[in-house]
Amino acid sequence: MVAVGTIVWLSSELMFFAGLFAMYFQIRSVSAPLWAEQTAKLNVPFASVNCLILVVSSLWCQLGVWKAEAGQKSRTGKVWQTGFLDGLRRGHAGKPSWGMREWYVVTYIFGALFISGQIFEYAELVSEGVTLSADRYGSVFYMTTGFHGMHVTGGLIAFLLIIGRTFTTKNYSHAQAIGAVVTSYYWHFVDVVWVALFATIYLLK
Amino acid sequence: MKVETRLFVVLAVFFLPLGPILYYFDKGYDLVGPIALFLSSLLAALIAFYLNVTGKQYTNRPEDNPAALISEQEGDYGFFTPYSWWPLWLGASAAVIFAGLAVGWWLFIIGAGFGVLAIVGWTFEHYKGEYAN
Repeated sequence: MVAVGTIVWLSSELMFFAGLFAMYFQIRSVSAPLWAEQTAKLNVPFASVNCLILVVSSLWCQLGVWKAEAGQKSRTGKVWQTGFLDGLRRGHAGKPSWGMREWYVVTYIFGALFISGQIFEYAELVSEGVTLSADRYGSVFYMTTGFHGMHVTGGLIAFLLIIGRTFTTKNYSHAQAIGAVVTSYYWHFVDVVWVALFATIYLLK
Repeated sequence: MKVETRLFVVLAVFFLPLGPILYYFDKGYDLVGPIALFLSSLLAALIAFYLNVTGKQYTNRPEDNPAALISEQEGDYGFFTPYSWWPLWLGASAAVIFAGLAVGWWLFIIGAGFGVLAIVGWTFEHYKGEYAN
């Protein structure tokens, strides 16, 4: 039930971002000289690394999901025994490995790195005169990436709550696992939206 | 879940060519329509994909069997809260937060404080206090 609701909500989120994409392309199509001037200020290598961080965070998240589905709340070994390769194969051969909590903490850290990188990028762009109210390019750039950043921030808060819940019960309940899984749906969705936004803003320009 | 999946696949396929058709007849003047139509196709595709993946986990559902009996559909549908006041507080906090955008940052911050309380309360309502498990 929770999963179905989340997917339906995410498809409506898709249409929210559809509005932002439509706005971007429509305004871009009537302001070619402005776009040529302003997109030159974008730091594409930096943004690429930042994009990579977010994509990788989705991998950590999925490893956490598989642990949640297997009912493994937290690590069974030492901190460095991540069981990464077994996790990728979804194998649970009784070897010590990280649980859902550890992978979600790493996902959180990567997500937070992404947001920090984006703030750094905003600061650089503002110093070069690209601001929300400066021109059409600035408005569109900050609206699209900003709304995405707010979604990532919301996802980070969700991760905190999901991680926090694992500390409240002795047994890892089905309801908790579902909560972890639907949070991953949201995280993957936001990640895919960023890949599309990145291609639109930084590669296509 | 083949029927449900097909319903959304039909929608996805329906919306897919509409964008290029609109683009062609509009001569590329309006880009909002084609993009919105293309992403409408993705909207249906997302739900179809989910239903398809979920359908593989739940085979032999009574819904898919024409000879099934109503009694076969008995059982748990999911977990539902007996009652909860938290959504009301969260909604009220959201109202204050959005009013804060119009009125000023001080109101936004007050609303955010209540919002944090409400969302933590809602998330943990079955893990702390009266209904702790």
